[in-house]
This record gives sequence, structure tokens and C-alpha cells, in this order.
Amino acid sequence: MKTIFIVDDSPTILLSVSAILTKAGYTVEKASNGQDALTRFRGGIKADLLITDLNMPGMNGLELIKEVRQLPNYRFMPILFLTTESQQARRAEARAAGASGWLVKPASADDLLNTIKLVLR
Amino acid sequence: MDELLAVFVQESREQLQALEAGLIALDRGEHDPDTLNGVFRAAHTIKGGAGVVECDFIVEFTHVVENTLDALRNGSRELSPPLIAALLQCSDHLSDLLDLLEQSATPDAECLARGQQRLANLGNPTTPTPTPTAAATPPVAANSDRHWHISVRFGLDTLRHGMDPVSFLHYLEEMGEIVGLATIYDQLPALAEYDPEGCYLGFEIDYASTADKASIERVFDFVRDDCLLHIIPPDSKVDDFIHLIEQLPETPPRIGEILVQVGALTEKELQQALHTQSQLPHDDDHPAPKVGEILVEHHHVPPQLVEAAAGKQGKLQAGQNHTLRIQADKLDKLIDLVGELVIAGASARLLAREIGQTRLSRVTQIMSRLVEEIRDSALELRMVQIGETFNRFHRVVRDLSHELNKEVELNISGAETELDKSVVEKISDPLMHLVRNAIDHGIESPEQRLAAGKPARGKIGFNAYHDSGSIVIEVRDDGAGVNRQKVLKRAIERGLVSANQSLSDTEILNLLLEPGFSTADKVSNVSGRGVGMDVVKRNIQSLRGRIDMESVEGQGSRFMIRLPLTLAIIDGFHVAIAASTYILPLDSVVRCLEFKDAASDRDYLDFGGEALPFVRLRDLFRIDAPMPPRQNVIVVQYAGQKAGLVVDQLLGESQTVIKPLSSMFQHMRGIGGATILGSGEVALILDVQALVQLAATRETDSLSVQREPAVNQPA
Repeated sequence: MKTIFIVDDSPTILLSVSAILTKAGYTVEKASNGQDALTRFRGGIKADLLITDLNMPGMNGLELIKEVRQLPNYRFMPILFLTTESQQARRAEARAAGASGWLVKPASADDLLNTIKLVLR
Repeated sequence: MDELLAVFVQESREQLQALEAGLIALDRGEHDPDTLNGVFRAAHTIKGGAGVVECDFIVEFTHVVENTLDALRNGSRELSPPLIAALLQCSDHLSDLLDLLEQSATPDAECLARGQQRLANLGNPTTPTPTPTAAATPPVAANSDRHWHISVRFGLDTLRHGMDPVSFLHYLEEMGEIVGLATIYDQLPALAEYDPEGCYLGFEIDYASTADKASIERVFDFVRDDCLLHIIPPDSKVDDFIHLIEQLPETPPRIGEILVQVGALTEKELQQALHTQSQLPHDDDHPAPKVGEILVEHHHVPPQLVEAAAGKQGKLQAGQNHTLRIQADKLDKLIDLVGELVIAGASARLLAREIGQTRLSRVTQIMSRLVEEIRDSALELRMVQIGETFNRFHRVVRDLSHELNKEVELNISGAETELDKSVVEKISDPLMHLVRNAIDHGIESPEQRLAAGKPARGKIGFNAYHDSGSIVIEVRDDGAGVNRQKVLKRAIERGLVSANQSLSDTEILNLLLEPGFSTADKVSNVSGRGVGMDVVKRNIQSLRGRIDMESVEGQGSRFMIRLPLTLAIIDGFHVAIAASTYILPLDSVVRCLEFKDAASDRDYLDFGGEALPFVRLRDLFRIDAPMPPRQNVIVVQYAGQKAGLVVDQLLGESQTVIKPLSSMFQHMRGIGGATILGSGEVALILDVQALVQLAATRETDSLSVQREPAVNQPA
């Protein structure tokens, strides 16, 4: 069973994405801000994939990606970030921070699961 | 409404509040980029969520608002007061749209037109809506005997980006069939230069699929920026392969071999290709220098990006609030259980004492203490800061003062003061009345203020603080204050007091809180309909709180609302009738007396010269147990009205966790809730308000003894 950790400050996104993932048989961990997520990664939580929003108050997604990437356990973990069509410029930034790829929101369940299939080993 | 929709609506309401608060701050001239970003993010989040719940009318509307905010954020538009006003209107409209969504309705023509008008007020430059261009590539026939050829060299950082080259192959297999595959590891350096975390792999893939080129390219989206990717469609000319061979970092004979190996080219075609290539005018010593350059470029992150990111990290706020969102009913359940735990703990302790086991007693004592701590912490979970409620009033103050042509600013202190969530929800309306009242009646017009030697801009202040188990919320203004003569005159006109009555200062002020009182000379839209202040008083009393007022003429007024910190626990006064225990809120108890004229049929007694109506609870609840030799009267008070409750015994006070009665018992009069005693017995909590009213109506119903539909005696 693969565990997917999702971080978004929007409860709507958290709920919808986790519902899709849970239904598809993944274990889902959730956090509503970057700092909480980072604390749990520092605590060594089991995660096979991190999906994070970029634009969050406090610690934003870019900072989270950068920090998580530096933790030895998660050096090679796939990380996807949530973005919109209008945020093409941020993709390069997120990639530079260590993200594997992105999900354009609102994503259909198929798009979401397909992309996850691509990055999960 | 399904759960996701409910979450979306709630979240969006919060985001709207943030949006509005940000706009108000901008309106006050706080032009910092964080505020603007926050406003943008709020709109952006609403749009994102609306997309998820597939609410198109919100997506479309918010999209335009977001564009305006984005233009403000990137400096292509200037912030102006009319624009802020237009944005605030859009925020109102969004709130309406959320209401519609909540009722599973869609906007009607009138609402849509209003929305369009509000969007038009934003004055966005008109941009044609982009029509999505459909992928024009025709699908490739599956039975084509020629295949796609994919040539990919992964970037050195691929693994460090969390990607696994093999996963691309797995993914391709889902869209088609990998007919031929060669793994290229020619880029692997000598051991000394080898980076164990680097990725030196590449693939040459012969691929049969009906997918179009864009779909295949999309598979490599995440690595495209730092990998070499060539996709050659089926039935391509050999020239395309020659071009490919030129582009790849490996030597042409080597790549040629591979292409033949995977089946992209035949031996003959390769020969032809290599022949053609050798004739091309380029330097054979450096077959593909460009690629190397590109690779190096791609492995390096632009330095300015690193700097920007590092700079941002420094700005991370240290004292962030980590919040966890949970459903209120889960919390209520927990508090309920903790309440029962307290009771169970108490009975364990009781039992241990009865048995006389000191060691057991000691253990249960420790446990009880811990349980009580748990109870306190659990109750604290329901506590929320009042700041959010306060902040909503910036908008109210702004709008009202504009409407009435007054200048008013709102100052808030004590925003971090916490109180029970259910109290917070109910305090908004009373505060609204007080603020409206302060702006309408309290604060004078700028001319009047200047004439009175005050600054033109009036002040309204909110303050909150804790005071011995209560929370005190103050609303003050530096307006005209209360003219006692005017109040008295009006009260006499309205028949609230008689002309020859002499009233203390406090009593005069309290008249303002009486039903049907209004002193404004001019009835405005805002307040002064004679309702309001008495409603405030009643609302606050229903929260078991009280409101006091101070006022200095010419200097301003101050309302002080005192509320219990929580509605879940009260200081209870326990009384008994036969074997049953009942509980009254201690703060409603005025005095306890012995019930002397027990034989009397009258339903009122003499209380210090006053005729005090009373209710025999024994009769009301139809308790048939034998009457004890002595009975007691508890004098209770609600909203200034007193009544006596006749009971058998007075048991004393203790903290009581209120448990609501199930809906089955909702119609019962005189009972407000239940609790469980240390002994495990159920005790009913008396509804003092209903009982006082009952006593008062009985008094006026002459002496006819009409027993109310009674309640069964609790088990």
C-alpha cells in the first residue's frame, strides 16, 4: 500500500484529492500547511509521494519541497506540486526546488491518478 | 448538500472574510505586498475550490476578480478607492453566489446581470476568451507496421528530482506497446567522476501506439526541461533519423547500431543515413557539442533563483499558528465523553472511599485530577479567538460611516482573547446592533465633532479580556454620549416610566435597553426602529451573560458585555424533590428561603414586600412521593423578573456539564438539559427562563390552578 502525503491550505482541495486517492486504494496523509508537513517529514513519516500546493500562507510549497528534499529519507521521493494553467513560471522554480512534476488543478480523478502512476515506483 | 460542497462553502466564506479584511486594510492605506498577496490568494483559493466542486458560476465570476487582483499585484494596475469599492461589491456578490450554491440553486438572470455589472465596475481591459485549440494531430492507425521512435537521455538530476527512468517505460506501456528498447549508458563517466546519485541513462524506444505526439510528449513533461527528448512519428523519412543521430551525444555509428537494434531503422537505411551524414558540412571531431552545452546548462540552477528562495526563507514567520480543522460535532462528542469520564472518575473515588482502601483512594484521586485536567483541556479545544469576529466589523464600520457621511475608525484590542465557539457564533448579532447604534446615534457628524472640539474622525473601540471565569467584551465610542434628559423625556412619552418617578443614573441608562425605546430624532436605515438595544439585551441574557452601560455626555459611551466562557459547563445549584435531583444555574439564584405557608393554595408569597409568584416543582413534575416536613423556596431571577421555585431540599453547588436533551424531550417545559451526577444518576437542569415565565403567567391567570402538562419523574 503506497502512502501519499498531501499538503494544501484549502480544505476543499484536501478533501477532494484525498477522497480520490483513498478510493483508488492509496493511504493518504494530510497537512494544511507547510510547517506541519515538514514537522512530520522530519519525524520520518512513511510516504511514497508528496503532493503539495505552492501558494500557502506561512511556509509555502517551494520552501517545503526544498526542505523535504534535503532530508535523507526523502531524497528520491517523488514530489508533485499543485498548480494552475496560469502559473507556468512557477514550474521552473518548483523544479529547481526539487519537485518531480506538477498537477494542474482542478484535476480530474483520471488525470490525478495517471500522473501519480507515472511518478510512483 | 454533500460533504465536499459543505467544506468548500465554509472555506470560501473564510477566504471571503480574509479577502474583505485585506481590501479594508488596503483601503486604509496599508499598501504592503503581503496584504495584496493575501487578497489574491483568497480569490485564487476560492476559484480553485469552485473548480473542484464544479461550480462554474463561481469559477467564472472569481476568475475575473482574480485577474484584477493579479494586475494589481504585478503592478500593471493602480489601486484606487473606487476599485476597492468595486472589489468589495464583488466580494458581496461572491457571498451571494455561495448562498445559492449552498441552497443547490443557480443564479437567476437578475443575479447574473448584477454580477456582470459588478465585474464591469472592475474595469478590466477586455481580453478575448481563449478558445481551446484542439490537438490537431490525427490519430495514428494502430495497425501501422511502422512505429514511433522515442529517443530520450535523462538529466543528471532525474533521480534527485524523485523520478525513476523506469516509471516512464511503465507509463508508456499503458498507452501502447514498447516494441524495441535499448538502454543507453554511454554517458557513464569514469569511476572517479561518477556521481552515485546521478542519472546517466537514456533509452531508445520503438513504440507502437495510437496516441498522438502530444500525448507521448506529455509523458515526459516532468523531465522535458532537463532531458533530451526526440519523438519521431511513424512513417518518418530516414532524414529525420539522420537528424536524430546528429542531435544525440553518442557517436553516430554507435547510435546507428542501436536504432537498428530497436528496429527503428533497417541496416540498409542506416548505411544510407551514415553515408548522407558524412557528407554534411560539420566538424566530425565534435559530433554534438551543443548537447553537452545544453546538459550543463540544465544541470545548473540559475543563481538568482537560489538567492530568491533563500531570501524568502529568512522571512518565514517564527510564531506561526498551527491549526487543525475538525468538525464541531466530533469535538462535542469528545467533550461529552470527557464529561462522563469525570462522572465515572468521581464515582470510582466515592467507591474507593466507601471501601476504605487508602491505596485505592489515592490512585483514584490522582486519576480524578488527571481527568479534570483532561476536561479542562478538552473544553479549551472549543475556544476560539474573538479577533476574527471583531475583524468582520471593519467592513461594517466602513460601509455604515460612508452611508451616514461620518468619519469613523475601528480600533480593536484583545483580539486574541478566547471564548467558546458557540458563544462566538451568537455574539455577532448583538455586536452588530451595538456598532450600528454607536455609529448612528453615538458618533456625531464631522462638523458637530469639530464644533465640540473633537477630531473630525470618530472612534469605535472593541476590547475583550478575561475576568474571573467570564469574558468581558467592551464596545465604546467617543461620540456624543447619552443625554439623560432626552432619555427620560422619551421614556415618559413612551410610558416606560411615570413623570414623577425619580430614577438613578444607572436606571436611566438601562431604559435604553428597554423594548420599544429609541431616541434618535431621525429614524435612519441604520438603526432607530425601536428594536435593537432590547434585542441585544435579550440575546446576551440567553447566553447567560449580562450587559452594562456607561456614558458620559459629550465624551462617549461604553457597553460592557459579560459572558460565561463556555456554554457547556455551568456552576450549578443542586436541589432535590423526593429522590430526584434538579440543577439550576447558580447565577440565576437570588436567595433561598424556607417555604412557610406550605398549606396555602395561593401561587404567590410575600418576598420583602413584593408579591413573588412561585411554582411548586413537585406539582409541575407530578412527583407523588410523600411531602417532607420542610420545603424550601429558591428565588430565581430572569431578565429582571423574579419567581420562587418550591423544592424539598437544597443540596449545594457544583460544576455541571450540560448535556442537551434528545429531540424527543424538546417540547418539555421547564427542563433545559440534563447532566449525570457523581453517583451515576441523571439530574435534569431546570430552564429558569421558562419557569419564571410560567410563574408570571399563572399569577395573571388569577388563582385558577391549571396544572401544566407535566413531565414524568426522571428515573
